[in-house]
Amino acid sequence: MLQLTNDQIGYIIKDLHYRGLVLESLQEEMIDHVCSAVEKRLAKGARFIDAYQEVLRSFGNTAGLRETQHQTLLLENQKPKNMFRNYLTIALRTLSKQRFYTFINIAGLATGIAACMVIVLFVLNELSYDKHHANAERIYRVNGEIKFGGNHYQLAVAPAPLAEALLQDYPEIESAVRFRNRGSYLVKKSETADNIKENNVIWADSTFFKIFTVPVLEGNPNSALKDPNTIAISKKIALKFFPQGSALGQTLIMDNSLAMKVTAVYQDMPGTGHFVFDILISLSGLDEAKSTNFLSNNFNTYLLLREGADARALESKLPAFVAKYMGPQAAQVLGGEFSIEKFKASGNKLDYTLMQLKDIHLHSDLTAEFRANGDVTYVYLFAAIALFILAIACINFMNLSTARSSNRAKEVGVRKVMGSLRSHLIRQFLTESLLLSLFSFLLSIGIAYLFIPVFNDLSQKTLSLPLTEPNFYLMILLATLVVGVLAGLYPSFFLSAFKPVNVLKGQVSLGMKSGLIRSSLVIFQFVISIFLVVATITVYRQLNYIQHKKIGFEKDQVIIIQDAYALRDNMQAFKNEIVKNSFIRSGTITGFLPVDSWRSDNTHWPEGSQPTQENMVGLQTWQVDHDYVKTLGMKIKTGRFFSPEFPSDSSAVVLNESAIKNFGFIENPLGRKISTFTGNNPDGSPDVNSIRSYTVVGVVEDFHFESLKRNITPLGLYLQRSDGNVAFRFEAKNTKNVIQSIEKTWKAMAPGQPFQYSFLDEDFSRMYANEQRLGKTFGVFAALAIIIACLGLFALTAFTAEQRTKEIGIRKVLGASVSSIVLLLSKEFGKLIVIAFLLASPLAWFAVNWWLKNYTFKVEIGIQVYVLAGGFAFLIAWITMGYQSIKAATSNPVQSLRSE
Amino acid sequence: MHSPELLKGTLQTIVLKVLKDNGKMYGYEITQLVKELSVGRILVTEGALYPTLHRLEAEGVLKTEVVSIGKRVRKYYSLTTNGKALAKERVNEFVDFIKTMSVVLQVKMAQ
Repeated sequence: MLQLTNDQIGYIIKDLHYRGLVLESLQEEMIDHVCSAVEKRLAKGARFIDAYQEVLRSFGNTAGLRETQHQTLLLENQKPKNMFRNYLTIALRTLSKQRFYTFINIAGLATGIAACMVIVLFVLNELSYDKHHANAERIYRVNGEIKFGGNHYQLAVAPAPLAEALLQDYPEIESAVRFRNRGSYLVKKSETADNIKENNVIWADSTFFKIFTVPVLEGNPNSALKDPNTIAISKKIALKFFPQGSALGQTLIMDNSLAMKVTAVYQDMPGTGHFVFDILISLSGLDEAKSTNFLSNNFNTYLLLREGADARALESKLPAFVAKYMGPQAAQVLGGEFSIEKFKASGNKLDYTLMQLKDIHLHSDLTAEFRANGDVTYVYLFAAIALFILAIACINFMNLSTARSSNRAKEVGVRKVMGSLRSHLIRQFLTESLLLSLFSFLLSIGIAYLFIPVFNDLSQKTLSLPLTEPNFYLMILLATLVVGVLAGLYPSFFLSAFKPVNVLKGQVSLGMKSGLIRSSLVIFQFVISIFLVVATITVYRQLNYIQHKKIGFEKDQVIIIQDAYALRDNMQAFKNEIVKNSFIRSGTITGFLPVDSWRSDNTHWPEGSQPTQENMVGLQTWQVDHDYVKTLGMKIKTGRFFSPEFPSDSSAVVLNESAIKNFGFIENPLGRKISTFTGNNPDGSPDVNSIRSYTVVGVVEDFHFESLKRNITPLGLYLQRSDGNVAFRFEAKNTKNVIQSIEKTWKAMAPGQPFQYSFLDEDFSRMYANEQRLGKTFGVFAALAIIIACLGLFALTAFTAEQRTKEIGIRKVLGASVSSIVLLLSKEFGKLIVIAFLLASPLAWFAVNWWLKNYTFKVEIGIQVYVLAGGFAFLIAWITMGYQSIKAATSNPVQSLRSE
Repeated sequence: MHSPELLKGTLQTIVLKVLKDNGKMYGYEITQLVKELSVGRILVTEGALYPTLHRLEAEGVLKTEVVSIGKRVRKYYSLTTNGKALAKERVNEFVDFIKTMSVVLQVKMAQ
């Protein structure tokens, strides 16, 4: 066979290339084909050039060649892998070409997603409370509501005999457990060991392990806690007191007097429960638990309903239950004419309701909860904030992509002319946004990882990224897709809709001028930002207000020594010893403090009248000593406080102004007398025959002893022994000395007992820990939202400045000053922020009023807060834009105008 | 010459069968062989052949091998294992089709 010469082959290659055969994968093959065909004709004796022409004709000349190439190309491009690789390459190229915008996009989105991730973890954690109990669906707590004698209680506790009576009367209840909270205990292993203070101690019925899912590691859950003086302890406590060997069967001594045998060791209760107990004490050893008094509420009572039982139906039977059991006892106390109907008719309440276990953490904030519960409002609030931040970040993305459209309009035009379909372009742009989204998510995992400790600190939780869970990565991947598609959808449709003719002729109005949607998105971002700023300022101001409000006592420079009962008989001596120090002004022994502390109340009535529903006043009865008012800094309005000079003070009372009002003693309160029951019948109900009266010797100005969310209720101070704490007022500047010398005395007088102290002002702020957390968290997320929004604004301004380089150049050549150009560039966004402010203000106003409604005593949020928030947003935005504007305005016009 | 309309659906079958019988072949060789086998009555055009070859390659039915001959390069096609099965299937299918057609058109096929 005749071979073609290299020259001839070279000619063919060149000619084919010239005719438009450029597809790499096809080129070589076609050359070989043509060569072979030519060779065959040459072999028949044709001239090279004739042979070549003939072959070409058989191909259909140039058009046929190109058609073959086109067909092959089409088929090849339908291979999804190739297409994807192509999209990916182009996307990566575009992204790396536009480093600045890519950085802003990824940084903003990653921060937003990280914030979102942390909040989602928080929300999931809040929602998971108490779900670990196998019977969670069937467990209900009995809540009480009592409104009587000027008091209104909403209780998480019920009377001691209630559980037993319910079990008897209603077969749909399978089992019940009661808890009695008696505060913290001092615990030691033996007589000689040092005491350790344990806070999470509770008295409980032996049915506890049957109702709640708490795995018992040692001991028999069925028999544990059955006998008096037995306890069950958590693994943690077992390891603490009995590091070697088994704790089962050992003895712990509680509060220096009660020897308790360990009958079970259970797995530590998870933090995601509305209670975490370290020591359970058997209720069978507590006399109070055997009481038949239906009128005193002290026991947290939980019911386990049978499968299929209807809790609402059971609840509807409870009013009859109240009439049956509580009615007679109340009648006995209040006189013969009492009936539940009359009682309720006069606006009073005595109701019991059921609350499902899993609702407790988020929906319950009653008196006598085991621990501070969460609040579903905050869960919603945080979820909303997370969505807002994500929205802001996505909006940045959309805005930047569409704003950059002018740069890419020509690209779109050329692609379309070359035969790209709209779907191709959409896919191209979606690939870009998915890629950005993927990078952002990867980055956000890192950011969240760093940020979670900070958030844990804020929220008092122990959240962590579930890095070992495959589901986590699945979720991340899914979220990447969703965010990528959401953020990329609008830009890709927007960009791919360009008409090539207009774009290539330069007729599409682009960039900032076409930005109605973009403007509204910017407005939306700043509405959210301003709203969050107002919310943050409000929370902070309310907190500030609470902390500096005149609360009726002086909370600074008071140290409280806790668990003073450990001093036993040395109590008075201890106080006297400490007060001798020159830096101590005075000291008082009492269990009752105007912060979260012991409370006890009792009904009283003016002496000389029969106790009836109308004249009874529920009175906080606080037992204090002579120095109480002096040490805590309350003010006596009229009369006097207790004094050693008046031995008769043991039957005297000092009332607060609310009590005076409630008793109707407004004129001339001094010398009046009030009476109360002092003894109980054997069944626990008050003994109507043992009545004691107290003479009013003074009136103390109202002071806040509960959170400012509540009103000040009637209160009486009695001169009686109460040994919960010793409080001292000390001179400023000497805090360290004070603690050291008090501790020294304590060690001498109460050897082996833990020395625990706190400061009254700190205890006071602790009552508002929730609010403080809310304030801080809001602050952090508001800052994040603003930063992300500004990041977007920064890039948008940079873009506008770039777009208008020529315009600015010409303006400068014609004599515009730098300041006028800066103004020109800022004006556009300035307008948007003003509009955002106008929209955000009413929204914020509603939200602020809604939140402050919770507080009886609240700060005025004046117009200045809104102006401040608006001004702040404007300032931040302006600083952001200012940099770009000034950069554009000061650039030399020669640079921008020379190329045209 | 058969009309291109008739040939349209049969090109893949032809290519597969030819490659099955002859092992590895290059594009021009295929066109020539088909021409020879059909006594010049079937002309496989380059415009139809190459897209088909590329497509079959992308589908994993064909594999290729590039040999350099002098200044030019020659690309040989052969069947993969999948391709061999497919070739058989296609041929059977086509025989079936012819039978059906003969019944439909009421003509007797030369055995």
